[in-house]
Amino acid sequence: MRYRSQSVAYGYFAVAMVLFGLQLVFGLLSAAKYLGPDSLLYILPFDVTKVVHTNLLIVWVLTGFMGATYWMVPDESRTELHSVKIAYIQLILWTLMGVSAVVGYLFRYGTGNKLLEQPLPHKIVIVICMLLFLYNVGMTIWKSRRFTTTEGVLVLGLGLAALLYLPALLEYENYTVSIFYRWWTIHLWVEGVWEMIQGGFLAYLLIRLSGADREVMEKWLYVIVGLVLIAGILGTAHHYYWVGVPAYWLPIGGIFSALEPLALIGMAIYAYSAMRRSGLAHPNTLALHWTIGSTVFTLFGAGLLGLAHTFPDVNKWTHGTLITAMHGHAAFYGAYAMIVLAMITFALPTMTPGRSERGSSIGYWAFWMQLGGMFGMTLSFATAGIAQVYLERILGMGYLDVQLKIQVHFLMLLATASLFSVGVGLFIFDFFRYAPRFDVGNEKQPTLRPDTVRPAPIS
Amino acid sequence: MNKRQARLFAIGSTVVAAVAFLALTIDSHRQFPALTNAQNITPAVTHGKNVWHKNNCINCHTLFGEGAYYAPDLTKIAQQRGAPYLQAYLRDPSKFYDEQRHRRLMPKQDMTDAEIADLVAFLDWVSKVDNQGWPPRPILVTGAGVAITGTRSADQAAAVSRSAPPPGPESLPSDKDPMALGEIVFRTVSPACTACHSLVPGANMAGPSLAGVATRAQQIVSSPEYKGKAKDVEGYLSESITSPSAHLVPGAMYSANGVSFMPATFGKDLTPDQVAHLSAYLASFK
Ligand code: HEC
Ligand code: HEC
Ligand code: HEM
Ligand code: HEM
Ligand SMILES: [Fe+2]
Repeated sequence: MRYRSQSVAYGYFAVAMVLFGLQLVFGLLSAAKYLGPDSLLYILPFDVTKVVHTNLLIVWVLTGFMGATYWMVPDESRTELHSVKIAYIQLILWTLMGVSAVVGYLFRYGTGNKLLEQPLPHKIVIVICMLLFLYNVGMTIWKSRRFTTTEGVLVLGLGLAALLYLPALLEYENYTVSIFYRWWTIHLWVEGVWEMIQGGFLAYLLIRLSGADREVMEKWLYVIVGLVLIAGILGTAHHYYWVGVPAYWLPIGGIFSALEPLALIGMAIYAYSAMRRSGLAHPNTLALHWTIGSTVFTLFGAGLLGLAHTFPDVNKWTHGTLITAMHGHAAFYGAYAMIVLAMITFALPTMTPGRSERGSSIGYWAFWMQLGGMFGMTLSFATAGIAQVYLERILGMGYLDVQLKIQVHFLMLLATASLFSVGVGLFIFDFFRYAPRFDVGNEKQPTLRPDTVRPAPIS
Repeated sequence: MNKRQARLFAIGSTVVAAVAFLALTIDSHRQFPALTNAQNITPAVTHGKNVWHKNNCINCHTLFGEGAYYAPDLTKIAQQRGAPYLQAYLRDPSKFYDEQRHRRLMPKQDMTDAEIADLVAFLDWVSKVDNQGWPPRPILVTGAGVAITGTRSADQAAAVSRSAPPPGPESLPSDKDPMALGEIVFRTVSPACTACHSLVPGANMAGPSLAGVATRAQQIVSSPEYKGKAKDVEGYLSESITSPSAHLVPGAMYSANGVSFMPATFGKDLTPDQVAHLSAYLASFK
């Protein structure tokens, strides 16, 4: 840790870890209800466990983004944060918002609009937190007079994410119109500005972990951002096929969303070649695993599995089935969970001295169990989804009868999700195992010379 | 390419894509009213939408294919079921489905009758939005799919395959076997009979199984309890289709207050010929 104020990141990471663990409890509960019968039907029905599951996901990932930004911006701008106090006020407000939203959902207090279920007061608090956050980060950069492209992409992504949340504050009389604007938030987040955020963290991590040249890395970061947005903005149309909008969105969605994986391929090559060409310049190989892992899993979950159902002729059959859940899990985990875990793993050794610089063996177990578990969950959702599409949509068998026939896939889902959860449990345990101590300058200077070290084996 | 050019590429492509997207958004707004029948968004529909949101239906069901995957898609449910059925169902789903059988059940929601009525009006509006014909074939709540006609007897099978016209809505020559034509109507009329009726003995869905309906019809028309106008099996079947409430199959999940949950729209939507074909087809299920 170079700057004392970077320590605020620890609080954000700790909150993110707790919420991540809770998210999985509600995921497992939801999956158990697929098997049924549900003994909690009138206490904690599926709709409640699911809304808590997805909302905790969004809250913890955003908490991680904020913490990681507070960690990275001082490093990039070579300065202390503008205000540690604002950062902590924001964290408290944000956590209260998240926790009270979840408690509200338990009592069915929410807007009932998928992924945007936060009641209006909570939405307003979210906006306030984002403004505090952007102000604090903006002032830090402004005062330092040092503004790198890497942090520029990150901060622009965060700012646009806040902006794109605004349509979610409005109410629409026409349900079709409300769907139309729901995607401005959800799709333009995950396939637009959040990818800028991921790209910013990725560039930062690669520059620190490898010996890659900043100029080159930032040039390619621009190219990746360009590819993300040219395909991602018009790619929104892949959610407009069947919701009551004009027919021209069908070819537009098919063409542009099919281009989206290009940027993801770009990211994977970017990470791989940074390591390949420049070698390792930092001892934290565990953080490297998470970094490279994130780009590879994004390519798989978002790129490949997104492409698999993005053409109108395919989506016509798969739309709104477990195929969507398959893709949603793999993509969200690879792109956003893993990049947050990479930033945490990178920052942790200097915030919690005592642990090994290269990552503990528990940390490696956590990595591989999560990867294996999530891959298995993806396969379970995929096989269940393919069976569902075939039996329900093509043969015309009734929904409930099909769900009975695919119970075995739900058992598989629970088994692999348990493996995944153990991996997450280990990560959380490893996180809290060492007490934080915020000494400035305790970072070991890179002892490895780039030219003498081979890239770490990825497997 | 240097860094400046890369930056130009990023900004340029973003601006171009954003401008195109905004232009299309404006044009979509021009077309929304016609595509969604905005004139039919009455206060009842709007209130029904709020009831939909308040009860978090989206986190079990999909609507327009968006939502959660724990319960069936409801985009076209209003057309498949009709209002009387949906209102009765929403009052208490456990009267209609058995959790032990399907291992899932919709929990009874805390809604007043007025809320339910508006909710059904909302679902009816949804079912009429022009959404490029999705889903490509009806998504049913229950039913065994291909096995729906599994108990077809040998001579029925022969009768159907003799004429075996391609399934589909195209107009068919009227010299075809009425039973075969009836089978096609049975599957393709909207709402499809197959969404509520199976032909497998004992497999009751939203409506009773029609296996053995001809034998049952014979008993009904000759029973003194029967108050309808039909004199014979085909007459009873035609009456059941065109005025479902004339005689009710007993069961709280089939009717309430003397009104059948089977849609009363077929008398108006089907031609007399189609009704005759349907009756001929069903009369073969002895
Ligand atoms: C906890 C999950 C859950 C919630 C919440 C839920 N449903 Fe359901 N719904 C189901 C399930 C499961 C079925 C399948 C039939 C059954 O088991 O009752 C179903 C079936 C239906 C059906 C079809 C019934 C038929 O036979 O055609 C309709 C219509 C329906 N739900 C409407 C709604 C509406 C409207 C809401 C919100 C007020 C809602 N549901 C909330 C789980 C849910
Ligand atoms: C929304 C569900 C629904 C649809 C769609 C539907 N029915 Fe029905 N049908 C019912 C219900 C419920 C009953 C039992 C109540 C009654 O007697 O009217 C029934 C009863 C019947 C009966 C009397 C059965 C007996 O044993 O006496 C016949 C015949 C019948 N339907 C034929 C049809 C045909 C033909 C179609 C398609 C044109 C059709 N139904 C569409 C729900 C439906
Ligand atoms: C980068 C990260 C991505 C994430 C986190 C992500 C996440 C998700 C989620 C959560 C959904 C469900 C949304 C809902 O129904 O409310 C979804 C839907 C979808 N995604 Fe992605 N996605 C990503 C990238 C992509 C890409 C690159 C493609 C295409 C190439 C794609 C194609 C689709 C399609 C077609 C659907 C609609 C599924 C349906 O019809 O039900 N996604 N995505
Ligand atoms: C213990 C592990 C997990 C289990 C058992 C689990 C289970 C589930 C279940 C049952 C659903 C509901 C799907 C439906 O609507 O029917 C769901 C939704 C979802 N989960 Fe998970 N989940 C787990 C972990 C995760 C993780 C780690 C992430 C992301 C990083 C995630 C992201 C999502 C998303 C985005 C949705 C919404 C998907 C959609 O609507 O298409 N889940 N999950
Ligand atoms: Fe998307």
